[in-house]
Amino acid sequence: MIQIGLALVVALTLSGVSRAELQETPIFEEDVARGKLPKVDERLPKEPAIAELETIGTPGGELRMLMGGPKDTRMMVVYGYARLVGYTPSLTLMPDILKSIDVEDGRIFTLHLRNGHKWSDGHSFTSEDFRYWFEDVAQNTQLSPSGLPISMLPQGEGPRFEVLDQTTVRYSWTRPNPLFLPDLAAASPLYIYRPSHYLKQFHQKYVEKTKLDILVKQTNQRNWAALHNRMDTMYRDDNPDLPSLEPWILRTKPPSDRFLFERNPYYYRIDKAEHQLPYIDRVIFSIADSKIIPAKTGAGESDLQARYLRFDNYTFLKASEQRNGFKVKLWRTGPGSQLALYPNLNVSDEIWHGLVRDLRFRHALSLAIDRHEINQAIYFGLAVEGQNTVLPQSPLYNPEYRSAWAKFDVSEANRLLDLVGLAKRDGDGVRLLPDGRPMEIIVENSGESSEQSDVLELIRDSWRRIGIRLFAKPSQLTLFRRRVFSGETLMSIDKGIENGLATAAMSPAEFAPTSQQQLEWPKWGQYYETKGMAGEPPNLPSAIQLKELYGEWLAAVSEEEHARIWHDILRIWADEVFSIGTVAGVLQPIVVNAKLRNVPEQGNYNWDPGAYFGIYKPDGFWFDHSEMPAKSASLDASPATPQ
Amino acid sequence: MIPTLIAISLVIFTIINLPPGDYFSTYIAELQSSGEAADLAKIHFLQTQYGFDRPLWEQYVFWVGGLLRGDMGYSFAYNLPVNQVVGDRLLMTFIVSFTTILFTYIVAFPIGVYSATHQYSWTDHVLTLLGFLGLATPSFLLALVLLYLANVYFGISIGGLMDPRYVNQPWSLPKALSLAAHLWIPVVVIGTAGTASMIRRLRANLLDELQKQYVVTARAKGLHPFKLLFKYPLRMALNPFISDIGSLLPHVISGAAIVSVVMSLPTTGPMLLDALRSQDMYLAGSFLVFMAFLTVIGVFVSDLALAILDPRIRLQAGRRQ
Repeated sequence: MIQIGLALVVALTLSGVSRAELQETPIFEEDVARGKLPKVDERLPKEPAIAELETIGTPGGELRMLMGGPKDTRMMVVYGYARLVGYTPSLTLMPDILKSIDVEDGRIFTLHLRNGHKWSDGHSFTSEDFRYWFEDVAQNTQLSPSGLPISMLPQGEGPRFEVLDQTTVRYSWTRPNPLFLPDLAAASPLYIYRPSHYLKQFHQKYVEKTKLDILVKQTNQRNWAALHNRMDTMYRDDNPDLPSLEPWILRTKPPSDRFLFERNPYYYRIDKAEHQLPYIDRVIFSIADSKIIPAKTGAGESDLQARYLRFDNYTFLKASEQRNGFKVKLWRTGPGSQLALYPNLNVSDEIWHGLVRDLRFRHALSLAIDRHEINQAIYFGLAVEGQNTVLPQSPLYNPEYRSAWAKFDVSEANRLLDLVGLAKRDGDGVRLLPDGRPMEIIVENSGESSEQSDVLELIRDSWRRIGIRLFAKPSQLTLFRRRVFSGETLMSIDKGIENGLATAAMSPAEFAPTSQQQLEWPKWGQYYETKGMAGEPPNLPSAIQLKELYGEWLAAVSEEEHARIWHDILRIWADEVFSIGTVAGVLQPIVVNAKLRNVPEQGNYNWDPGAYFGIYKPDGFWFDHSEMPAKSASLDASPATPQ
Repeated sequence: MIPTLIAISLVIFTIINLPPGDYFSTYIAELQSSGEAADLAKIHFLQTQYGFDRPLWEQYVFWVGGLLRGDMGYSFAYNLPVNQVVGDRLLMTFIVSFTTILFTYIVAFPIGVYSATHQYSWTDHVLTLLGFLGLATPSFLLALVLLYLANVYFGISIGGLMDPRYVNQPWSLPKALSLAAHLWIPVVVIGTAGTASMIRRLRANLLDELQKQYVVTARAKGLHPFKLLFKYPLRMALNPFISDIGSLLPHVISGAAIVSVVMSLPTTGPMLLDALRSQDMYLAGSFLVFMAFLTVIGVFVSDLALAILDPRIRLQAGRRQ
């Protein structure tokens, strides 16, 4: 990571030499001429970030998108993806808002800001903004009752924070902290800075109590901390007054059914032709019910849409492509398995408890799933079959991880079950448990999509051939999780591991018992999460080993070491089949206005790493109006009234 | 009235708190299922701020106390006071509902009167058939079909009450026109079922009256048929409609929730549904209490109106005293 920083510094100085004149953005020309806005070279940092783009665009235009609810304003921060450090499309970490970053021993991080970088309201973005968060927000017991975020507490120990000068800050730990940088680059990032000049007016330490009390009253909040928290919504992005570093900033005050985002005049990135990014002047989120969004998209009401579209909308969207002037691209989704079965290792039923812990039993269940049939019947054969593990696009991929115990082999599965001691069957050919009950497995799910029931239907048929009866039980999300956590659920079906695109530098926490959310071992995960206060310690040797390997990964510094530990983890994961994968890499339809450029043809549609469109940097997307006169030109004429 | 409202608020509060968990646990589960990590620190902060760690009765007293002062609480999903969230949508709901009621009356009255006076004629049969069709068609299906047709043939944007570019703009003529262009679908869809049942009721009531002796007498005395019809039997047949006002008021506020969800209308119906699903308890609770309040008021108003319009009711009440 040290090299990353250096490489970028070199690139920047080189480009600094051959610098042409910066071009003013057309929409700001009037404001600049009137003196309402400084000139473009005064707005940009001294060393702006230079975007590598496929094509150089022309500024202007309006991007319409559809969202499912008012909470979705946060998607602008996700898509905008301005992060201190961020992933490139090839998933390497690069400084983004930062000019560079120096890392020593994986434990001392020195962050260098861009000289002259400004917030969207024109105030300077400096080390004071980092200090404000670290000292006045994160360490204030009223604002942050639970203290520093976990990714800043390796082994429970906080960093030493130093302000070196106006543009340099340093965080140093006594141990390596590999979680720090990935968390800064996450889709929902760790924000270690705040617009201090704005938020100080709500902070007890900087404002007189009487003045603050009046403000609290006016805004209908409980106390100053609630007020500060209400205003400080960098991720949620629902406060139009909050200064930001993102490419587009919110202009509409909620509540509303239409949110307008305007370009940030102080944005830090430029293209190679010296245009300040983003190209697109305005982004508009129209709120509609999520179920009507595919229909609206098909009617041409969105210029860039993937959220709330599913693979089964593809044919419908494709049919209206011509009529409404858009293209449908197909990207790969990132989870390790579209749907995976999770035998609950913490199930309370004694007999089942013993069975799911038996490796041969889990192998048999996995062998008796016809993944090819699922792929053909539900995903038109376009998905990747196999276990719930990293995807072929990941540098950690090994075909064996995906194919282990994933072949459809009923006779082998039957042989394994006989070995386990389940040879006795009833009149219908259903195997009997040692206590005489028939082997009936109830697979619970959150009842969110019909896709789960469809897949279960197919699995039910093939499991019937190994003498196991499967019943699907849809319930409701909260209830479903509660039942899994308490051990009432024997088996559940849900999305596979989140990050199928993992690299060695990303955390393998999903593969080890580290969180209660893990449906295969909620109690072991809870034990880790609560540091032993609740839950149960893992008592299966392989799970203990996974946990230890995760600990080793946390303590490791070099990339080779991280990769070695990852492979150890993935190997155990493949052998043990803690979760039973079906198919992965299901295609995600991406609807793109036919005139919108720089949206990649192929891509990964993933939450983290990826931030959906984020790593492809939508600030570089632009509208090409060259071929035909714009039909939507009349729309631009109506003046936008920010409220 | 006041004991009724207290009882209603108790029932509402209990039912909202019956499902396990609260807004925050639902929210966390939702985020985690989409792979997004919730900011637990912030959620913990909100939980203590809003007294979720207190016993239920304390929460109830706190909530009702707020209601009495006109403070409807705080919506967690919107991160805003409930008053502000609801306020914006009420206008649209009123527009949709009043247009619908108007549509229903305008269509149902002439048809109802006509088919009662021309009982068993072929026109009566045709109109009755239409009425039954309207009653039997699921409104969400009709909504989807009309949406599709309107989009393909008239180029009207799908869902919503106006073209997206007019949302948040000040009122203007093009905005009003766009509203009108979008309004007819929900009005027809929501109105169809209501129209049909109203035709049937009006027809039945009127038929009862037309058989009565005073009508025969009046007719024998040579009263003009129109004057006769409007002065006596129609007035009698109207009573059920007036007593309906009670249930009409809450209907106007809540809108037709299912249709509004399908058509993604910016009315209060979908918002209430969402609030209930995500256990946004102050939003849902205050809203339901508000509706209950309107029902109580509505029943009261319709009772008064009936007493004024129908001397029989007035006189009977007097006799009992």
